[in-house]
Amino acid sequence: MAARRRKRGARDSEPGIPSPPGYSAIPIKFSEKQQASHYLYVREHKVREGTKSSWPQKRTLFVLNVPPYCTEECLSRLFSPCGAVQSVELQEKPDLGDSPKEPKSKFFDPTPVPGFQVAYVVFQKPAGVSAAIVLKGPLVVSTESHPVKSGIHKWISNYVDSVLDPETLRVEVDTFMEAYDKRIAEEEAKAKEEEGVPDEEGWVKVTRRGRRPVLPRTEAASLRVLEKERQKRARKELLNFYAWQHRETKMEHLAQLRKKFEEDKQRIELMRAQRKFRPY
Amino acid sequence: MELALEGTGKEGKKESSKKHTLSGSPVEGLLQPVKLSQAELYKEPTNEELNRLRETESLFHSSLLRLQVEELLKEVRLPEKKKERIDAFLREVNQRVLRVPSTPKRELTDQTWLPAGVRVPLHQVPYTVKGCFCFLPPSQVTVVGSYLLGTCVRPDINVDMAVTMPREILQDKDGLNQRYFRKRALYLAHLAHHLSQDPLFGSVHFSYTNGCHLKPSLLLRPRGKDERLVTVRLHPCPPPDFFRPCRLLPSKNNVRSAWYRGQSPPGDGCCGDFSSHGFSSPSGSPEPPTPHYNTWVLQDMTLESHVQLLSTVLGSAFGLKDGVALLKVWLRQRELDKGLGGFSGFLVSMLVAFLVSTRKIHTTMSGYQVLRSALQFLATTDLTVNGISLCLSSDPSLPALADFHQAFPVVFLDSSGYLNLCADVTASTYHQVQHEARLSMALLDSRTDDGFQLLLMTPKPMIRAFDHVFNTSFCLFAACHRLKLWPELQDLGGDYVSAALGALTPLLEQGLGSRLHLLAHSRPPVSEWDISQDPPKHRDSGTLTLGLLLRPEGLTSVLELGPEANQPEAADFRQFWGSRSELRRFQDGAIREAVVWEAASMAQKRLIPHQVVTHLLALHANIPDTCVHYVGGLLDTSSTGEEALAAAVRCYDDLSRLLWGLEGLPLTVSAVQGAHPVLRYTEVFPPTPVRPAYSFYEHLRDRASLLPRPDKPCPAYVEPMTVVCHLEGSGQWPQDAEAIRRVRAAFQLRLAELLMQQHGLRCRATATHTDVLKDGFVFRIRVAYQREPQILREMRSPEGMISLRDTPASIHLERDTRHLPLLTSALHGLQQQHPAFSGVARLAKRWVRAQLLGEGLSDESLDLVVAALFLHPEPFTPPSSPQVGFLRFLFLISTFDWRNNPLIVNLNNELTVEEQAEIRSGFLAARTQLPVMVIVTPQDRKNSVWTQDGPSPQILQQLVVLAAEALPVLEKQLMDPQGPGDIRVMFRPPLDMYDVLIRLSPRHIPRHRQAVDSPAASFCRGLLSEPGPCSLMPVLGYDPPQLYLAQLREAFGDLALFFYDQHGGEVIGVLWKPTSFQPQPFKASNTKGRMVMSRGGELVMVPNVEAILEDFAILGEGLVQAVEARSERWTV
Repeated sequence: MAARRRKRGARDSEPGIPSPPGYSAIPIKFSEKQQASHYLYVREHKVREGTKSSWPQKRTLFVLNVPPYCTEECLSRLFSPCGAVQSVELQEKPDLGDSPKEPKSKFFDPTPVPGFQVAYVVFQKPAGVSAAIVLKGPLVVSTESHPVKSGIHKWISNYVDSVLDPETLRVEVDTFMEAYDKRIAEEEAKAKEEEGVPDEEGWVKVTRRGRRPVLPRTEAASLRVLEKERQKRARKELLNFYAWQHRETKMEHLAQLRKKFEEDKQRIELMRAQRKFRPY
Repeated sequence: MELALEGTGKEGKKESSKKHTLSGSPVEGLLQPVKLSQAELYKEPTNEELNRLRETESLFHSSLLRLQVEELLKEVRLPEKKKERIDAFLREVNQRVLRVPSTPKRELTDQTWLPAGVRVPLHQVPYTVKGCFCFLPPSQVTVVGSYLLGTCVRPDINVDMAVTMPREILQDKDGLNQRYFRKRALYLAHLAHHLSQDPLFGSVHFSYTNGCHLKPSLLLRPRGKDERLVTVRLHPCPPPDFFRPCRLLPSKNNVRSAWYRGQSPPGDGCCGDFSSHGFSSPSGSPEPPTPHYNTWVLQDMTLESHVQLLSTVLGSAFGLKDGVALLKVWLRQRELDKGLGGFSGFLVSMLVAFLVSTRKIHTTMSGYQVLRSALQFLATTDLTVNGISLCLSSDPSLPALADFHQAFPVVFLDSSGYLNLCADVTASTYHQVQHEARLSMALLDSRTDDGFQLLLMTPKPMIRAFDHVFNTSFCLFAACHRLKLWPELQDLGGDYVSAALGALTPLLEQGLGSRLHLLAHSRPPVSEWDISQDPPKHRDSGTLTLGLLLRPEGLTSVLELGPEANQPEAADFRQFWGSRSELRRFQDGAIREAVVWEAASMAQKRLIPHQVVTHLLALHANIPDTCVHYVGGLLDTSSTGEEALAAAVRCYDDLSRLLWGLEGLPLTVSAVQGAHPVLRYTEVFPPTPVRPAYSFYEHLRDRASLLPRPDKPCPAYVEPMTVVCHLEGSGQWPQDAEAIRRVRAAFQLRLAELLMQQHGLRCRATATHTDVLKDGFVFRIRVAYQREPQILREMRSPEGMISLRDTPASIHLERDTRHLPLLTSALHGLQQQHPAFSGVARLAKRWVRAQLLGEGLSDESLDLVVAALFLHPEPFTPPSSPQVGFLRFLFLISTFDWRNNPLIVNLNNELTVEEQAEIRSGFLAARTQLPVMVIVTPQDRKNSVWTQDGPSPQILQQLVVLAAEALPVLEKQLMDPQGPGDIRVMFRPPLDMYDVLIRLSPRHIPRHRQAVDSPAASFCRGLLSEPGPCSLMPVLGYDPPQLYLAQLREAFGDLALFFYDQHGGEVIGVLWKPTSFQPQPFKASNTKGRMVMSRGGELVMVPNVEAILEDFAILGEGLVQAVEARSERWTV
């Protein structure tokens, strides 16, 4: 233990903390009481030419290794000395963020248990990013003025949050279903309109709802058709009628026995290796 | 005890199996699907091959069985090389025995001529005997027994040698009053003295022949490395035709009472009221017959003729010899061939000879067929009623079978017609043999794949085979006094253990009546002793152990109904039960004698046999209950509470009726199914109705809920019981996954509203479930729609074809709403059939969790493993007590080959034999994609849903190791006549293998009282002892240690494993994963909890252990007391 302390001590005295190329390391700890600290690895958010990303170039800081007790508000507070922070997003994995996010419902998408995460911190000005990169730290998550809950207090507040108001849930469900019904009704109306009407090249779209419904295009349905065909053919075939058929069935039986025999031999071999034949 | 942590997941498995290859095992110890080329499969068969195939078909079950039997025989047979060495040794022995010098003639009572280093191997009680003895070299020394026949099986190779004493030693009437046995013993003592001085022998010992106290034999073993090779047993025997057989008929007396007791007998040799043997002496004659004594003399006379008979029958018929060897293995695995009155290998050989003589077995039969025919014969023939005889002559002077039946419980006469081969076999031993034979026949007929394994390779020790076991010691001699067993003692030469046993078994059988399936007893193996020591006393021959196989139907009643008071049988009944018998008036007006046992709960009812046994033994045999060590409920401490479970299930039944009758739902309810361990009786600690003390909680008035308070100890843990409520299918359901979720949420809300309105139940609805408080129990109703998994599975290919592919969401949903309810109802049904199921399942789960392995093994997988014990009990019968079930659980876990076999749990017997074979071959083909532990049920034939998420190979390995260590320790503890000591030792986990221990504060462990070592005092959990007005929803599912573990696993899951006992554990064990401690190059996706270090000029990532240790404390603030880092393994 002592040896390790010494090693750590030596490391701290070195100028600068080792960080991977392109990143800089910022020590972070939960509160002043802690001895050791984790390291945030930060760099400017950059993407290759041509790739889309919803986070603005130049103004976004990409943060790796955010400890589990660190929330979005918390990061925003820690980075605000570098410049005004516009938004913070925590994610499980690095993600380009090209797909638009749907608004999360607190009823249907429960918040997952946080682990170590990555964060995208968007500053209002590019200067914020460069200031953040040279930040010395160590950052302290929970301070006197802004205590962060953990342990029992956190679990109790989570429990309180989990007791939700059924009325709001009802309202949310109702709005969603209204929109859904409307969408479905529109689609149906459109389909009805198109039915039997040839497109520019003269093709007519045939659907299940038409006057003469066709088979649905599913895998199960096509398999069913194939199976029916096979049965029909099997019914027509004669079994053991010709001499060669007879011979072949016999041979087939023999082959089965041989295969079984080989399998059994292998099994025995294995059991012998495991000394399974010693009854004492 | 070290966890084999070679990498994670599949990698670890591969590594370990690679090691296996190095040690020479074929194909990595894993079965592979067989691939044969087309040419190989379809080549022309040779004549030889066709013959072999035909033979296999006609003589064996299957080729697998044939191969297995061949392998087994190879293993137990004596190799030729060893035979040569043994033969050489035998020749030496022969020469030396013939060269032993003779001694002058002395009186029998004058034993001063014996040298100091040797004692007479016989209890000479009474000492005075008339007659003279002198030693003369034997007239003949011959090898008899199985060695000569080539049917001896390993591990104990014994060669029996008959040493014929010269006629000059014996006198007329030596058959009387043990005179022959005295001479025999002196003869052996002299032989022993001379042979012990010979450097040829490594050890010279005495032992009792088949445990018979009057007949010692001399054991010789070669010196040096061959010491364990062979034991030569010398049996002195009289010259042929020395005794006249007609003097040794079972009705004759050859031990005079006057001599034996030193006085004349009081009365007419009455044998007590409950004697089984029908020893009643012929009226008028004052001397009781001595059938056993006579038999023992006769046995010595017929040694040679038996060998001749057997060698003519078995002769060159290899199949018969194989069959005898197999039968011997069969008996040995069942511990039936041990001690006095065991069903020995010799008996079995004679039985085969009998079957050959009656043409039930033909000499061309294979070993397997011989085994089968012999078992069939044993299963269907009751030798206690219809004896059999090898004697072919119809000489009228021969005694009738009926005479033998009067004297012996089991009758099987030899070819002379005078000797009962089964003289020492008790009725209960024979019934046990019959029972085993019947079980084995059923097993052979069921055509299961592993019949061989279960029949011949699985040991059945008594403690694991019988539901309850008890042993008595020390008080048996007093019992003989009480039961007035004087004639028996006289006959048995003072062996009071055998005498008492004969009287006690019928007594107990009668007393246990409908509760009992089978009563068996085991005798300790025959001891050996040094020739310079006195022979062991009867008392030292170990304790008498009896096993009870119970009948579950009989266990529910507490009443022993007797005859009506005015019937003459009433007196007998009163006498049998003593003070426990009372006159009772029944509802139908009858007034009867009856015995009522006190038993309130199911666990106590199961232990009524204990009350019966102690009561009867004390009443009739003067054996106080301190002398009876009863093993049946010693493990029950953590498994009582069937009543509490039943109460919860009743409440659930009420709720489901309410749901069925609910009015105003837009769609009707199509099914209500339980999906929680409580509802299949396997929850370790059954729930109790909650009565919260309001002052203990924070209130959320508008949502009628209670909340935990940070300043109080953690409130009691209430786990809602999940109930799945299926709604009918209808065109109104949307066909879009997101929309279905919304509709379900609407139903949850509606359900809560309706239950509140129509039945006044407190409800709380969320998007996925509705919690209902009913009579203090909380249920969690989940609305389900049958087609939802289907819709989640739909995928549209680019061509517009809709195909079905499993997605994680669909699998999860299907598991929760389809498989889980099916499993729950199937196991609920199993519990109705086998009342012990609940106890076993809960005990098994408690043990697994106490070993901190509960996380890796899901509730359902353990329930299924236990269900397998009941559905596939072969070679046992389904357990009727939690104790025996738990022992078999440990045995199954420690011996099952999970790698090469799926555990098939044939619920409701839905799978046919063909389907099972198909499942097995499918399993082999898909082995690499399947989890390490595969459990197949009729509903889940391919995927093994309950073991998909674990255990990992390492956890399973650890479990196997722990079970293998726990089983012998526990069995020894239970069978210890001094008392079991602390059974909880089994349940305390080893903590020394963990790298870090996180100690938790009991204040915030809601289930603290469930701990293995239940704390004397714990915290108040905010519950009232009396029912109060309970209208607010209690705190549900709030368990800080579990929340903490979830956080730890999420944050550090790829660096370490966390182990915890959810039932009140005070410590979390942490094990670092060695692979993640290897320095790794930097990767943006893999920085979790690591830090960059420069190592030899390179930047690498290593876990930031010191910060992580501090994180452990931060994340569990308030709960964690201390974080102890215990090893230096992680210093990098």
